[in-house]
Amino acid sequence: MKFFLNTGRTIKQGSFVERKNSPAYLEEASTLRMNPVDMMDLMVEDGDHVSVRSGVGEVVMRVRPNPGLARGRTFVCLGPYANHIVSPETHGTGMPDFKATMVIIEPTGNPVSSVAALMGSCGGVPYED
Amino acid sequence: MKIEDVVCPFCGCLCDDLVVQVEGNRVVNVENGCTLANEKFMGDHRLETPIRRSGKKWERISYDEAIAETAGILLDADRPLLYGWSGTYGEAQTIGVHLAEVLGAVIDNTSTVCHGPSIMAIQEVGHPGCTLGQIKNRADVVIYWAANPIEAHPRHMSRYTTFADGFFVKNAFRERKVIVVDVRETDSSQIADEFVKVNPGGDYAILSALRAIVRGKRDIIPPNVEGVSREQLFRVAEICMAAKFGAIFFGVGLTMASGKYKNIRNAIELTEELNRHTKFTISPMRGHWNVYGSNEVFTWITGYPYAVDFARGIAFYNPGETTSVDILRRGECDACLVVASDPGAHFPRACAEHLARIPTIQIDPHVNATTHLSQIQIPVAVTGIDAEGTAYRMDGVPLRTRKLFQGSHPDDLEVLEKIYAIVREAKG
Repeated sequence: MKFFLNTGRTIKQGSFVERKNSPAYLEEASTLRMNPVDMMDLMVEDGDHVSVRSGVGEVVMRVRPNPGLARGRTFVCLGPYANHIVSPETHGTGMPDFKATMVIIEPTGNPVSSVAALMGSCGGVPYED
Repeated sequence: MKIEDVVCPFCGCLCDDLVVQVEGNRVVNVENGCTLANEKFMGDHRLETPIRRSGKKWERISYDEAIAETAGILLDADRPLLYGWSGTYGEAQTIGVHLAEVLGAVIDNTSTVCHGPSIMAIQEVGHPGCTLGQIKNRADVVIYWAANPIEAHPRHMSRYTTFADGFFVKNAFRERKVIVVDVRETDSSQIADEFVKVNPGGDYAILSALRAIVRGKRDIIPPNVEGVSREQLFRVAEICMAAKFGAIFFGVGLTMASGKYKNIRNAIELTEELNRHTKFTISPMRGHWNVYGSNEVFTWITGYPYAVDFARGIAFYNPGETTSVDILRRGECDACLVVASDPGAHFPRACAEHLARIPTIQIDPHVNATTHLSQIQIPVAVTGIDAEGTAYRMDGVPLRTRKLFQGSHPDDLEVLEKIYAIVREAKG
């Protein structure tokens, strides 16, 4: 199904922003919030994994219901998971479309990568502290 | 030991009323701080020594080795990028700009992915702003547009707006009207007197509609504008025009959405229209601690607030060309020095991939997403905790941060001055 992806700050993201290798940061940054009716349509439950695909990439996240979101719209806190599928195009402004990415979301059995593994997939070498 | 009037080093609010208890070289308690401040001060997860990537492994190296190698990488590069700067203090940012000039590098700060478009709009039409103290003492209408202060700036409402009594606003909670404009319901929208829920990308149209209403052109407004009813727009305009002193705060929901800097320009021009009826101001909700200071420091040295390119031997600024995301996505830079920020987490993946391809050096106290992409990381003291310096609050007020204890790490200034000295000597 097609969705509109928005990103932004959350208090939990801010709280763990200096511990990006921590399980708490991983959980918050990889959580996709979605209207509960859309979750029923997708046949996914709270905590299930979903594949989120845009025109520039794909990432696995876990889904959580959020009735404050209109149907067809999703929200992920800013961070490496959301940015894995955000286009680097800035339209001559320097600013990517962090808050306006069209994505296709499907249930998946694949695991959610750690931040280190995600950066490893970008060509980096994971540093485990 | 209890230390009073401590400045928080997390968000752009720079709350300066914290009471911090220190034992030895650790913070053990924080009073008056929000959740973010508590985590910042009590956090105990620093990188201990400099590290270097060696093949698929990491090794510990000395500070002298890390600094010498960093200087060598920057000297060897044809088009180095020096990015970040918002988590450190003005004195260190100053050395960063001088380093960029000597190297002929591009220097950019994190406003490139937060309020850079706001600055572009301000360059076009000006900035009718004021200090937070004026708003606290005078504003009877406060608008949060595309911002969620409860999660991003948790004490903004209690120190300056909704819950803060002021000299002319004796009972803020009852006397101040709060309007929230956003594309989704948030904790902040739940305490608003008026919540305007707008379609994604619809802010520009809403701002234009409000401008038309304030200008007396109600008859041209269609029944529904981007998900908002005409009646609600009339009501919001009436609240604004009836205000004695109104304040608009806007977040990155405007700068990152479709329209980018044109949204901000329209918001500033709405503020101008409202000033024909009453007093109104507009201010960006600056997020990353001293990001405002990086704009100030860059501007007073180079004339430009961010995305400054010294490749021509003089300062050149052209957002969309000299901005970090564009330089990285084009694969243009051949080395990158990251200071006090985390582009690995906060830039699109294509940029992270380029950071991993080139020698990237990071100067930062913590392991973050950029660590995994780097060649070298040099840990430093945390500004505002074990390093002191000058930082700017979101309204442009400079505050001196405190050093709460003597830590074991050098600070940003010390490391950057050593790198600068090597580069300066090599360049002659």
